Amino acid sequence: MQPFALNYARPAVELEATTPYVYDCGQQLNVLMDGRVAAGDPALLRELGTTTSTAGSKTHFDD
Amino acid sequence: MTVLILTCEEDVTADMVVVHLNASGVPVVRLDPADLPGGVALSGEFAHGAFRGHLQSAGRLVSITGLRSIWVRRPGTPGARAPEASAWLAEESSQALWGMLRGSGARWMNHPDAARRARHKPWQLRLAQECGLPVPATLITTFPQAARDFAERYPDLVVKPVSGAHPQDPPRAVPTSRVAPDADFSAVAFGPTLLQQRVAKRADIRLTAVGEQMLAARKATAEDADPDEVDVRFASGDVPWRAVDVPPRVADAVRSYLRRAELAYGAFDFAEDTDGTWWFLECNQSGQFGFVEVETGQPIARTVAEWLARPRPEPRRHVNGSHTRVC
Repeated sequence: MQPFALNYARPAVELEATTPYVYDCGQQLNVLMDGRVAAGDPALLRELGTTTSTAGSKTHFDD
Repeated sequence: MTVLILTCEEDVTADMVVVHLNASGVPVVRLDPADLPGGVALSGEFAHGAFRGHLQSAGRLVSITGLRSIWVRRPGTPGARAPEASAWLAEESSQALWGMLRGSGARWMNHPDAARRARHKPWQLRLAQECGLPVPATLITTFPQAARDFAERYPDLVVKPVSGAHPQDPPRAVPTSRVAPDADFSAVAFGPTLLQQRVAKRADIRLTAVGEQMLAARKATAEDADPDEVDVRFASGDVPWRAVDVPPRVADAVRSYLRRAELAYGAFDFAEDTDGTWWFLECNQSGQFGFVEVETGQPIARTVAEWLARPRPEPRRHVNGSHTRVC
């Protein structure tokens, strides 16, 4: 028998595996293909949802 | 002095803070403990009554005693990316890294001990009550009959994980969910179950506290919202987050909470009812804030950066010389 709370579980939604930026260890920042800093593009971050509170994420224990 | 940020590479929320630190000219070293050993190296020597320690990552070398602050954001488990990872290596790496950092004298956001304690939701609920925050009636139990009795007294309930964690085998999410009126509570016996009186909310509140600063945002519940959809993380619709003032009584209670929890940062979730009361749901000691900032324009990342950039307190001076402790 499974715990009561798991009656309400649903498949976890993982973020897209590919993001349009990569980590630059020199700058210690994620940069876009054109060299811009990803964090400087709020519209992009909003679109990607990578700063969002997401239940069920493997990497984000805290929401 | 340097700010140390412990997080994974893909953490663009941390980037938002690094940008501000860079603009202020504050030295930053960012690393993921998962890369120790390998991409991250450490060394610490305890000799002649003193400690000298260093961390190295991506060509940067930093003195552990030269750290002004440590931001624990989304760190991986030490040793996790070692070529021959093992539980033993993870423990060895954890003890070495976290043990040295604990002796650094730096300011923490948040200290690991405080963070670990603060993750316990039952403890959060009790502390919130003691600080004067309204807490919805809540039951955590493995007694099915206690759950049935609670449901009789509070017929409109939600259920959520006690830990906030989600099962990974297979990966599943357990959102806060409304309990059906005719629910069978027998399965409560198979795992601690958190039942809470549902707040008929007109908005969700995310209050991000950074030191003494509080930045709150409000997301109104859509008029056509499905009443069964109680978890804002899963809510459909495009109602935006908007900045909102923090009621003075809530602000006082939140300050008390942070002080007693020994937290420098906390992301508080409230449900605002139709009377305007903010009901405490949880405080996430490392909760996300980027999504609020990109929607509201609130300067949360800058506030975090300013907190991290503060100089650390002067070491205590002792009457008989700087290395003599008076007991």
